[in-house]
Amino acid sequence: MKGYLKPLTLILVFLAILIPFASEAPDGLERVVETFGIEEHEPLWNGLMPDYTLPAISNSYASTFLAGVFGTFLVLVMSYIMGIAITKKEAKPHE
Amino acid sequence: MHISDGLLSPLICGLMYAVSAAFLVWSWKKAKATYSRSLTPILAVSSAFVFAAQMINFPIPYGTSGHLVGGTFLAVVLGPYAAILSMTIVLLIQALFFADGGIFAFGANVFNMAIIGGLSFFLIKILTKNFTKKNWLLPSIFAASWLSVVLGALACALQIGFSPAFSEVGGIAVTVPAMLFWHVIIGVGEAAITTTVVSQLGRIQPTVLNGLALVRRAQNERVP
Repeated sequence: MKGYLKPLTLILVFLAILIPFASEAPDGLERVVETFGIEEHEPLWNGLMPDYTLPAISNSYASTFLAGVFGTFLVLVMSYIMGIAITKKEAKPHE
Repeated sequence: MHISDGLLSPLICGLMYAVSAAFLVWSWKKAKATYSRSLTPILAVSSAFVFAAQMINFPIPYGTSGHLVGGTFLAVVLGPYAAILSMTIVLLIQALFFADGGIFAFGANVFNMAIIGGLSFFLIKILTKNFTKKNWLLPSIFAASWLSVVLGALACALQIGFSPAFSEVGGIAVTVPAMLFWHVIIGVGEAAITTTVVSQLGRIQPTVLNGLALVRRAQNERVP
């Protein structure tokens, strides 16, 4: 578990510093959709944290950062479980 | 580049689910045959990094933005098969919890980002002549990550272009040039970030570049 601490801290520090600088502009696909005036339907599923924010928190920085922390841990745990599933147990050390 | 629901026709959604499922089964089988348990921590941490990095949109000219996709980064760190699978986890969490990318469009998003990203590994392999040309490594990673975004955008353009939402404005004749125009630029950001992160990782913690290590190990076994 100790090995995770350093890289995870780095990831979250990096997130905390860069979130205020993240661009709010539409991404490439959103821009194309806007350019041609395509109406996007109301999504069927809004997710628990739409647009990477926690709806319960009004401060936008804290809201986005906490959503990021939550998502980062969720991905960490899910991919760890998958990692166990797709790898073989260590073979006996080489003679 | 995450496609939301409502842009794709049911036919395209179903088709992309089928194609992506086939690739995921293939990756899963290949991964089972390739990786040992020691990959798990670096797999978890690098996927977490990619999730966080995708939240940070960088501005590009004319009021548009892009963000790292990270497919090529994962491919270099984990090898192609685990890269495809871990990017799929990132996309799944984004779709389920953050409504970034639709549920019906999930198959398409997996194809455009996870599968094309993971397969970019083989372009690096070809360009570096099976990883023997060391000086070519970073330029090849630059090229592969740029191309993975551009090809992903092309696939996305075809998917939305063949769907009814875009048929009135001209279908693929307009979506392909428009998507390519933006992603040729966004791809440069992807390539710059990927190359920088990989070269720094290679300097401070070379053991984590498993994707490359796997190939080297395979070569060493073949040539005693």
